[in-house]
Amino acid sequence: MFCFQCEQTAHVNGQAGCASTKGVCGKDETTADLQDLLIYQLKGIGQLSERLRALGKPDQAADSFTLYALFTTLTNVNFNRAVFTGLIAEAARIRDRLRDALAAAGGDVSGLSAAVSFQPATDLPGLLAQANIASVRAGLDLVGEDVIGLRALILYGLKGVAAYAHHAEVLGEARDEIYAGVAHALAFLATDPDDINALLAEALALGRLNFTVMEVLDAANTGRFGAPVPTQVLTTPVAGKAILVSGHDLRDLHNILEATKDKGINVYTHGEMLPAHGYPKLHAYPHLVGNYGTAWQNQQQEFAAFPGPIVMTSNCLIEPQPAYRNRIFTAGPVGWPGIRHIQNDDYAQVIQAAQAMPGFAEAAPAKTIQVGFARETVLGAAETVINAVKSGDIRHFFLIGGCDGAAPGRNYYTDFADHAPKDTMLLTLGCGKYRFNMHDHGEVAGLPRLLDVGQCNDTYSAIQIATALANAFGCGVNDLPLTLVVSWFEQKAAAVLLTLLALGVRNVRLGPSLPAFLTPTLLNVLVEKFGVQPITTAEADIQAALTRQAA
Amino acid sequence: MNVTLITNDAVRLDVACAEGQNIMAAAEAAGLYPPAMCHEGSCGLCAAHVLEGSYEMGPHNPQAIPTGPGGVLLCRCQPQGDVTVALPYADAQISRQQIPEREAVITGLKEVAAGTVALSLLLKSDPVMGQGAEFVPGQYMELSVPSLGVKRAYSLANLPNWEGHLEFLIRLVPGGAFTGWLSARAKVGDELMVRGPLGSFVLDEASPRPRVLVAGGCGMAPILSMLRHMGEFQDSTPVHLIYAANREQELLPDSELETLRAALPQLGVTLAVWHPQPGWFGFTGTAADALEAYLIGTALVPDIYVCGPPRMLESIEAVALDKAVPETQLYAERLPH
Repeated sequence: MFCFQCEQTAHVNGQAGCASTKGVCGKDETTADLQDLLIYQLKGIGQLSERLRALGKPDQAADSFTLYALFTTLTNVNFNRAVFTGLIAEAARIRDRLRDALAAAGGDVSGLSAAVSFQPATDLPGLLAQANIASVRAGLDLVGEDVIGLRALILYGLKGVAAYAHHAEVLGEARDEIYAGVAHALAFLATDPDDINALLAEALALGRLNFTVMEVLDAANTGRFGAPVPTQVLTTPVAGKAILVSGHDLRDLHNILEATKDKGINVYTHGEMLPAHGYPKLHAYPHLVGNYGTAWQNQQQEFAAFPGPIVMTSNCLIEPQPAYRNRIFTAGPVGWPGIRHIQNDDYAQVIQAAQAMPGFAEAAPAKTIQVGFARETVLGAAETVINAVKSGDIRHFFLIGGCDGAAPGRNYYTDFADHAPKDTMLLTLGCGKYRFNMHDHGEVAGLPRLLDVGQCNDTYSAIQIATALANAFGCGVNDLPLTLVVSWFEQKAAAVLLTLLALGVRNVRLGPSLPAFLTPTLLNVLVEKFGVQPITTAEADIQAALTRQAA
Repeated sequence: MNVTLITNDAVRLDVACAEGQNIMAAAEAAGLYPPAMCHEGSCGLCAAHVLEGSYEMGPHNPQAIPTGPGGVLLCRCQPQGDVTVALPYADAQISRQQIPEREAVITGLKEVAAGTVALSLLLKSDPVMGQGAEFVPGQYMELSVPSLGVKRAYSLANLPNWEGHLEFLIRLVPGGAFTGWLSARAKVGDELMVRGPLGSFVLDEASPRPRVLVAGGCGMAPILSMLRHMGEFQDSTPVHLIYAANREQELLPDSELETLRAALPQLGVTLAVWHPQPGWFGFTGTAADALEAYLIGTALVPDIYVCGPPRMLESIEAVALDKAVPETQLYAERLPH
């Protein structure tokens, strides 16, 4: 096993990466190796897809499979090795189909990578014996750490792209441009590229692709559920039977709300599902009563204490404790061995569990937070905001976005939000917001000082806000009184970072620690060429941001 | 005094311990509930090893003490200063909640094999726990009849469910306080108290290795639950069942195994009878003999799960040691009798 795709990856004796029998996230060696093999197969599928597409014969089932399969390999998504043996077998069947189709269409079958002809073993020991060829570090002694790091950056960014694209796809929004871009990136990786400039160019191309993907996801979410509006969300329980829905998938939440309609069961959001309350067509369900708990890394305590079943719809799952193993369900790409998985949107077992469990005996004194400040709302108040900037009432904007995590260094984001001067406006997205979103940040220019833009999946909204403000001021995004303070944890953040770089957004503060796959050389490129800045201390970084603005 | 508990997945838990307090009491006072049953130094469930620091052991059953230096029972171990203790289970096995105690009603009681009854209970709805029966296959419950004043632990044979059903396989012990009541007086509709789930004898579902499940007599209960669980989840891990008894009449009827085979097509079965009648087609010998024969014929060293009486466990452990099965791949649950 070798995995360094997320922020919490092990650091042993100065060497970064989870390389023992179990990763920090709980992913075991077998699952990690099977995931590597699946990725290896997907590169072959990407190569075949790209050639078929050039012949005007795309295979949409293969494209969808690719998105789903990539999504299963994100951090904290699927830990079930049985799922991966199944996906590997399916990938081999799809590859065969594409290869036959390419030959039948008279396409060029020369120069295909070894991944295209790879035959997975039929049993687990055989598969594990094959895993070495598929390691993210394969070829290290030939190409060196920088090339391995750049390949990893593209692969991990691609996983993020696939996750977003899958979320949009399940809501019926897909574009051939996205499938083509994903196939292209996989086909590129299949060639074992070792030219630094070519790798960097592909990374930026992937960032641009991700912008399109996020735009499509935004269209899928707002098209289906309406544009988010400012909404007060109860963060305290009400009396009654209860279901908790975590993860990011709004479609799953909607289906659960439909399935539990008029059943006397209250539905609560958890973690990244919080912004769902802002969507009018989800908010319209009276039994979507509030949000319970905080960010993903606290789930073991929060789920154990929740008096009803829990549905995990996407990342971020961690090892279910015995206290709630029987009442946590996974959906979509998520999985854990021995945990029940929702098939075909059938929530009957979840409802049965909710009815059998006690639920909340009584309501707690009500507390609320406000969500729903996505692009339409914020831009609706653009005139107020612009005037406040001109009058000096708003000195600066901080977008504090990204994932939360267990690392002690993440207090930085709490400190940042709490210490930012009162004449600055805070925008946030992602579950990192739980570090400060229950604090009272007051108002500025008659608006709440803290605006919750949405999930980490809603970066498009934040970029649109920044772009619109820049247009209003007749300047570039980099000239705005705006600093992006990004906390990264997993691969969707890698995709977003590539998008920001591709759009030319500079001076992104990145933390709490930098990706382990970025070598000092690569980091230097990010700093020199793109102005990425590692975080220091909250006070110093706030000061630096405000000084830059003054200068 | 400070007690540092280190789980086998390297999680460190610090709890404060008062003068004269035992480690189990200190842990429970801190809201941590390690696997434990008797709390009086006899069942051996809370066995652990002190790595560092001095301690005194209160009255206990010497046979319950685990082998090796520093072997203790948490419920009888009184630190004499700061101590560090290695626990033989993962952090996830340490419950963070008070172990529930609930009322249940007998819904079925019938002899299913010679000297063995299947006891079915239905939990009453509970304001904190609700209606469901939540446990992990392999775990056990502590049953007590308030009027008798006795408690007995029995492994669950069924699967967790939201209706509140509990099923046990219980060997009737001549003269036994609980089983005597069960065979002579208990009837459908009678009430019992049920405390649990308890125990850490559960499948390591993340393991990539094949599994061998060894059941002796009523030790079949948790094994049955594990196999049913694998069937429910369509777990494709290679699995072999060794089901042993002294006489073939003590085995559950074939229909039970047929149901398992239907759910788990890869399931291999060895029925081992020590003293069979003439005409027995299965394996003749003990569970340990059958395991030895199985291990000789297999290339991959499997994970071994065994539940049975103490002497059977000892002979299984000896076979496992002889066949170089790593200690970490042997999971054992001891029947009380």
